[in-house]
Amino acid sequence: MSASLAPECNEVKERYDTCFLKWYSEKYLRGQGGTNENNECAAMFKEYQKCLTVALKDRGIDKLVEEAREDNKDNDALYLGRK
Amino acid sequence: MVKVFSNTESFNYSWEEVSTANWRKYCPWNEKSTHVIAVDTLSRTVDPATGILRTERLITCRQAAPEWLKKILGGMEESQVLETSYVDPAKKEVTMVSANLTFSNLINVEETVVYKPLSDHKTQFSQVAKITALCGGWQRIKNTIEDSLVTRFGENAAKGKEGFETVLAMSRRVFAEEREREKRGTLQAQAINFRQAQTA
Repeated sequence: MSASLAPECNEVKERYDTCFLKWYSEKYLRGQGGTNENNECAAMFKEYQKCLTVALKDRGIDKLVEEAREDNKDNDALYLGRK
Repeated sequence: MVKVFSNTESFNYSWEEVSTANWRKYCPWNEKSTHVIAVDTLSRTVDPATGILRTERLITCRQAAPEWLKKILGGMEESQVLETSYVDPAKKEVTMVSANLTFSNLINVEETVVYKPLSDHKTQFSQVAKITALCGGWQRIKNTIEDSLVTRFGENAAKGKEGFETVLAMSRRVFAEEREREKRGTLQAQAINFRQAQTA
């Protein structure tokens, strides 16, 4: 699996990625995924995010991401079929 | 002016295999994507109404721009791209939209990639990139920047296909090995149960 931009998050990221890939191929694609919030990887994702959020803030990337999200709203409407 | 680059390829793997391997497209198995140094997941949700999986990933690249362009845009070593992807399991379609975060006030690169099945064993990859130089200034320089990036997309498209083919092959092998291990585990468990039943 690929690395995190923050080396200190690599370990939690690796654990989450492995869990996600298994969930995706064995459950989600077979229609047994449920929501992302209550599946078996949710706790690992939270831990990874806790680490990553700090790293993004330190590097000032969080603001760039916010701006790009704004620009992506049309795509959400298009691909999620929302108004 | 917007410059457009587009490309279509096909892979001899099922849509399920391709959409799974896509999550590790930039892993160390892919020797053709060494410019990607990190991939981080920023958010991930399953839409309750449609079942669509929406993911945001931050892709960190080692700067691969030509020297003269680096001089114009400034000398940063790393650049970032935000990739928002939508997996529609009912339609069997993955759509990925990527936009550059770095230099976004100077240049906009928006790439859309779609993976959809051509048959049970074949998947189509289509890619469209729109490139717009925003910097006020000479039209000629803007054109040169845009053209240079269009050329870069063309060069990278071939490398991208080759790299992803390796990831697909490795992915298939690893999954087969895992299934084999699980099968062996089940057989062993059954054998133990059988023996225990006999001695009981």
